[in-house]
Amino acid sequence: MSKTKIDRRNFLKVLGLGTAGAAMAGCDMPSYVTSEEGAEKIYSYLAPEEYMIPGIGVWYASTCQQCPASCGVHGRVREGRVLKLEGNPDTTVNAGKICQMGQASIQAHFHPERLQNPTINGKDATWDEALALVKEKTGNAAWVTGTVSGHQRVLMDAHRQASGNGRHYAIEAVNARAWEDASATLLGDSNPNLHIDKARAVLTIGADFLGTWGNPVKSMRDYGNFRNAPRGVLMAIEPAMSMTGANADTWVAARPGSEAAVVLGIGHVLITKHGVSAAGMPSAAAAFAAMTPARVLELSGVSTAQLTKIADTLMSNSPSLILANASHAAAKAAQVLNLMLGNVGQTLTPSTALAANGLAPLTGSSKDLVEFAMDANAGKIGAAFITGTNPSFLAPKGLDMAAALSKIGFKVAIADFADETTKSCDVVLPMSSPLEAWGTHVPVNGGASGDIHIQQPLMENVYANTRGFGDILLSVGQGAGVEGLGAFEDYYGYLRTAVSALIGSDMEGDWNKALQAGKVTAATIPMAFKAGEDVALGFSEPAAAGTLSLVTSARQGLYDGRHANLPWMQEAPDQISKAVWDSWAEMHPATAAKLGVKDGDYVSINTANGAISTRVFTYKGMHPDAVNVPMGRGHTDYGTYATNGVNPLTIMDASPGDRQTTELLSSNLAVQVSPTGENRHLVRLMDVDSQHGRKLVATITADQFDRNQGGA
Amino acid sequence: MSADRPQHKSFPWIRTLIGTAVVGALIVLGAQMFEKQLHPLAPGEAPAPRVPGADFPMDTFAGKDVPQPINYSHKLHAGDLGINCLYCHTYARRSKVAGIPPTAKCMGCHTVVGTDKPEIEKLTAMWSKGESPAWNKVNDTPDFVHFSHERHLQKFLLNNKDMDIKDSPDVCAMCHGDMNTVGVAKKMKPLTMGFCVTCHEKNNGPADCTRCHK
Repeated sequence: MSKTKIDRRNFLKVLGLGTAGAAMAGCDMPSYVTSEEGAEKIYSYLAPEEYMIPGIGVWYASTCQQCPASCGVHGRVREGRVLKLEGNPDTTVNAGKICQMGQASIQAHFHPERLQNPTINGKDATWDEALALVKEKTGNAAWVTGTVSGHQRVLMDAHRQASGNGRHYAIEAVNARAWEDASATLLGDSNPNLHIDKARAVLTIGADFLGTWGNPVKSMRDYGNFRNAPRGVLMAIEPAMSMTGANADTWVAARPGSEAAVVLGIGHVLITKHGVSAAGMPSAAAAFAAMTPARVLELSGVSTAQLTKIADTLMSNSPSLILANASHAAAKAAQVLNLMLGNVGQTLTPSTALAANGLAPLTGSSKDLVEFAMDANAGKIGAAFITGTNPSFLAPKGLDMAAALSKIGFKVAIADFADETTKSCDVVLPMSSPLEAWGTHVPVNGGASGDIHIQQPLMENVYANTRGFGDILLSVGQGAGVEGLGAFEDYYGYLRTAVSALIGSDMEGDWNKALQAGKVTAATIPMAFKAGEDVALGFSEPAAAGTLSLVTSARQGLYDGRHANLPWMQEAPDQISKAVWDSWAEMHPATAAKLGVKDGDYVSINTANGAISTRVFTYKGMHPDAVNVPMGRGHTDYGTYATNGVNPLTIMDASPGDRQTTELLSSNLAVQVSPTGENRHLVRLMDVDSQHGRKLVATITADQFDRNQGGA
Repeated sequence: MSADRPQHKSFPWIRTLIGTAVVGALIVLGAQMFEKQLHPLAPGEAPAPRVPGADFPMDTFAGKDVPQPINYSHKLHAGDLGINCLYCHTYARRSKVAGIPPTAKCMGCHTVVGTDKPEIEKLTAMWSKGESPAWNKVNDTPDFVHFSHERHLQKFLLNNKDMDIKDSPDVCAMCHGDMNTVGVAKKMKPLTMGFCVTCHEKNNGPADCTRCHK
């Protein structure tokens, strides 16, 4: 070793002396650090309300619009700016809690890349010009939205009726459509109330209720109660581990696309081993009888022992609840099992319908995405309003969304950010952020309360030339000559009149009370389940064992990609891989070994629809035949922060996976995976899974747990 | 083993590095001296504010004149006319910040008083346009310092049995100097960490870092 090389001891000496010298000199902060005299401006209020005190926040109620769940929020407003959101404790849906996506709405609200001016063919225009053009060209227009409810939906419906009954497509890539359809078929109620807290065992098959499915905030609270004594047992069957799967006591990996077969297999064991009756449902019983454990093993890789354990747990922990959203077939079979096990009426109860017409949520699905593309390509859509969804990003290449959009004569985007879809629209109307606008929302998973959440502006527009979504809808409706709208100057006026009618009072005090609570409780009509009837249960054959299939999980944070432009959400580590700012392909270590790749190796994932290339992240919570690339990244036109990663949705199969319902599937797509030879480190929060012997998290073996606790 | 270890005595850079550290320290000290040259202490000691039960540093600071959109006079309002500090800076006892009074408060008097003076005409013009004057901040602590006016007023004024609310100028003067003597506003106390800590030590104020730096 050379004599001039600094060793540790000398390095520390020098560091210490240098620090001491600087510290001695800096003991009293030099006055130039603080003497910012005249460097900052300070503005006073003009004539503030008595309760407005600079430095002290005032909380106002509003409604979160970051996902379709529509949780109630309280926003802290200080010096005219909204700084922080918390859950509104008065709501039955989220009861005082919100998720990270809700917290990030503040960042979306103050985002520098928000749309600021109306444009016509990409050139700035005035609102009058843009609205005049919209009025002239949108006869018979279709509406393309995400999940919508409340008075915004009423205005859209009124506009469609007044302008020639264009179709309303509600598009959500992350949806509960399989569950909704199965519930409607078997119970006559597409969104029955779920009582996770009342169940003693919950089995989920592709319904990630702690992550993105339904209202995760509500589910998490129910889940907390479910885990309180007596502790409920959570089981999950899925090809790639989700947030819910990661919390499950029993997690079973099933081959992608084989979920329905596994549910049928559980039914088979329940009938043959436990004598559960499928009386009155001969076709269902036949399907159960045909799905022997041996057949389940062959189709899904789920062993007889696993199948039996799940069936035993369901039997010994009654009432249970089986949730499924993996496919229509799986959801239908799960609902039949709920009927057979007597869960219906206990952990599944009928929802209530609002007495007022037209406010109920129109829930989105990817079925509507497919149908929108097909209708547009067939030239059936002359004009369209597109808002709250991004079909160009969500659509697989095979749907040819670019061609479909170009065949629509006139497209209006009502958006707060420029994205892949607004780029191809003729007119773009910049809307205020949800924290600046009025609205009403009916939560999809609202419980039995009849609550209508009120969205009220928490501050003035950050960008002066934007308008509230409701105000734009009102102008568009007035332009189309919708009856009864002419009298209203703005959406606030319309909403106030409409809400007054709902609560049967137009007193100032009652309106203020509604705003303070953030909700009104409207009259409801109780519903009843219909009697269980016999349905045919089927399943689709998954790809053969050993064939890799692509799964595209949705994760809380980026969701379906709508939050990819928020650095907070890019920076928040993924719940499973802990990765940030980039895409990855999760695969089982055995699969990676077979392909000859390791962590960080780039692989090309090829389908008939194209290829994406991203790096491998090996993870044991995977079926060896599954490759999971979570959705949300890989935007091409969604601002500075959304460009990284790849979009797995583009290479998904465009032909509807479930022919009966034309719903796209998020799994069951055979792919070829080949290494590209490149390797780059995937940046993860934790980076290593080892605790290096530091016992950061105490663990015991399953054997010890069983001995001590008498585990499930 | 030991043969591989470097010989500490034959380490030639250490003197250079110590020298660099000393020079660095001298530069910082020099900059401070220079800064003090720029802002010499005010001649003579400011009159000692009378706050029973409080013992606080007498340091002064000669702040520069900061031009303001309206040439308001603290001397006239607070000094000659004897208006209580808390009449205008009403937020000081309720909030972290003392706040600039809302224009409505100014107009409470100035719709009748002194309406012909040019500065009042400026104010009235802004008021009728619905604009606030853009004041230049004179006393400013860095963003990593959390100072609460409310807490300090509670200790030295509101919960101090020897003080009456009319004595507020004496309490405010602890950190702001005698505002009754200046025009718009001038920084008259250093408001450095040393200034804060000296007072906290003398008056048993909290000493944990996180009380102010959060």
